[in-house]
Amino acid sequence: MSLADLGSGFLLAALALAMASGGLAVTAGQRDDPVLARVARRAFGTAALCAAGASATLLAALVGRDFSISYVAEHTDRALSLPLTVAAFYGGQEGSLLYWALLLMAGGTLALAASVGAGARLTAFANAVLAAIATFFLIVLVFVASPFDLAPGVLTDGLGLNPSLRDGGMLVHPPLLLAGYSSFAVPFAFALAALLAGREDATWIALTRRFALVAWALQSVGLTLGMWWAYHVLGWGGYWGWDPVENAALMPWLATTAYLHSAQVQEHRGTLRAWNFGLVIAAFLLSVLGTFIVRSGVLPSVHSFAVSPLGPWFLGFLAVSVAVAGGIMASRSGRLRPAQPVETTVSREGAFLLQNVLIVALVAAVLWGTMLPLLSGMLGRELVVGPAYYERVGAPLFLALLALLAVGLLLPWRRVGHGRLRLLRWPLAAAGLALAALLAAGVRQPGALVALPLAVAGLATSAAEYARGGAQALRSAGPRAAAAARVVARNRRRYGAYLAHVGILMVAVGLIGSHVWQQSRQVLLQPGQSVTVGWHTLTYEGVSRQAQGDHTAEVARLSMGQETLEPARLTYASLGGQAVTRVAIRSTPLDDVYVVVAGPPDGDAVAFTVFDNPLVTWIWAGAVLLIAGVLVGNLAAVRREPERVPLRHTAAVQAGTGE
Amino acid sequence: MRSPRLAGLKWIGLGAVVAACVGYLVVSATGTSAQYYETIPELRSHASIGDVRVLGTVQDDVVRSDGGLHVRFSVADGGQAMPVDYTGTVPDIFRPGIQVVAQGSLGADGVFHASALQAKCPSRFTAASPAPGP
Repeated sequence: MSLADLGSGFLLAALALAMASGGLAVTAGQRDDPVLARVARRAFGTAALCAAGASATLLAALVGRDFSISYVAEHTDRALSLPLTVAAFYGGQEGSLLYWALLLMAGGTLALAASVGAGARLTAFANAVLAAIATFFLIVLVFVASPFDLAPGVLTDGLGLNPSLRDGGMLVHPPLLLAGYSSFAVPFAFALAALLAGREDATWIALTRRFALVAWALQSVGLTLGMWWAYHVLGWGGYWGWDPVENAALMPWLATTAYLHSAQVQEHRGTLRAWNFGLVIAAFLLSVLGTFIVRSGVLPSVHSFAVSPLGPWFLGFLAVSVAVAGGIMASRSGRLRPAQPVETTVSREGAFLLQNVLIVALVAAVLWGTMLPLLSGMLGRELVVGPAYYERVGAPLFLALLALLAVGLLLPWRRVGHGRLRLLRWPLAAAGLALAALLAAGVRQPGALVALPLAVAGLATSAAEYARGGAQALRSAGPRAAAAARVVARNRRRYGAYLAHVGILMVAVGLIGSHVWQQSRQVLLQPGQSVTVGWHTLTYEGVSRQAQGDHTAEVARLSMGQETLEPARLTYASLGGQAVTRVAIRSTPLDDVYVVVAGPPDGDAVAFTVFDNPLVTWIWAGAVLLIAGVLVGNLAAVRREPERVPLRHTAAVQAGTGE
Repeated sequence: MRSPRLAGLKWIGLGAVVAACVGYLVVSATGTSAQYYETIPELRSHASIGDVRVLGTVQDDVVRSDGGLHVRFSVADGGQAMPVDYTGTVPDIFRPGIQVVAQGSLGADGVFHASALQAKCPSRFTAASPAPGP
């Protein structure tokens, strides 16, 4: 039996099992039948195993260079290294769909197993939703875009991989983003199941909290790596171009971020139920929309993907999902009225809700800009908006979110006493100092003068909160270090959140700095000539040509003080003379000097584009803190008290609402 | 305790204010920064105001100068060709036969003066091509 047959067999078996699981789960949910629910769950788990079998088969075919399978022939060649060969598993269209389905089913199996105690109805309906999503992906994999289709002829070698993708960042960026999307299917499934089962309390939030967090963390890492790759490999001096494909990844991340905040309001105060259902559904649908945008090529993007018949399939799936989720929410609207509305605007829950409103507005603006070519194309001439649009709309929202970040942490739940309002003096003082310092340093750009003090105010707020915790530790008896550790351990979620906020503020500082103060120059230099950008002077020394494996490298040498920068241009003869640039970057916390060879060297004369990118390092460092803060603060705390944390919140909510 | 309905109305009011502000921003920013995607025949058939984007295939007449920072070439689409003049960083994969999106305006001399040039990846590649500078 060939690997192609084996893989196709696994996929068919997975499809049959997923459909059976879905049908059984619906019946089990309607009858509240724990035995049937268990059968459905086992069927889903077995389907996941079959998907794993199909994935293992595809990996074996890739590593064994089975060129009778067209997916293998199209995405590898004999020269490709092992890590890149493995990456080809999710590098192509069909493989990435299989990867999506595999993660969805593995995550779903885990979530279902972990939530057995939550009652047969809830888990059975969640099982049904997960099985329905899996069925869609498996139908596409079996009938439309199979990774196991045979190649039309016998090939001795494959077509290889685009050299700009042969990079470590590219190995991990797509699978992490895809994993982030697919793992958000779990909160989505449990949200719909909670509505179907009539369990609108915070149980589903507690059950899927870890999945939502993991999904958010994976998307965050995926986005950061995408920016890192664009910055370090593509060589245009920036990290974000507002391309439709980038926006498609940003929107689900924003919606998930909003949900992580608003879920806390429901956990603490029992309110915002309908809003949370809506956010989870929207976040998942945005990730499906993202997959549709990326895979269908309907939008004009510099990322052009294989033209494929998948567009209509994803559009259909999206339409069905919107209709089903919307229908279920509408039919339950009577039960979703808040037990207790958010009473005061100036309170912790008010800040969360305002943050949510701002983020949703940002998502709506990005969605409009992204879909405009499609919408205007239907009505007549195709309109496109570029970075100017996103900056104009996004900047005020970004500033409002920064201001909220400085204030929101200081507000208590429910209502503000005057004592707490006095705490605002710290961020205000810090913002004032920052403004004075910037003015004294000669900064006159309005953007920097508004945004940087706001970010500093936020940092001061976080610092003040850490100091408050420290002071509390000092007042308690016993050794001080132990007391401080106890305060942090007892409030791990809160201190993790502060760390995450410090991280996002550092990202903000990096975004502001690189946006306001970026400088660039394009010059043609003869050996010995210099170029000055910002306060850096680079002297071009010469170019050397080296043959390296399957490509030729033209390496230019520039000196900057004691340092040497060596940007290069690589030419791949095997790929029709395609050239790839290799950027040289010298990073410090203050700024990056970023040099690109702009064209084919003309004898010894080389054209360079040189950028001075201030504070870009802050973006990467901040992203690390952001993700670490959320993971350390939440996952570890949950593991120590596996059941008590969510249950206590539920009990508090029920007691508070008098249910 | 205040009336829940009043609290709800307050939030709806706040949401409406945010929606109105963002709506205004979206509409005004779309108006000032949107560009038309045009074909070469469309571009020639009427006078355009502001920059437009044109998609076409790079022809064999590529002339590069200034170490590659300045390039003149023709793009063809729909049976018509048009000369393009561009100064700036040329995408790595730029060469005859690939598709490019040029952003700029058509001069009175019949030459399209591009301020930005993006390359579209050949379809077999599964991810990004060099993006343009802002």
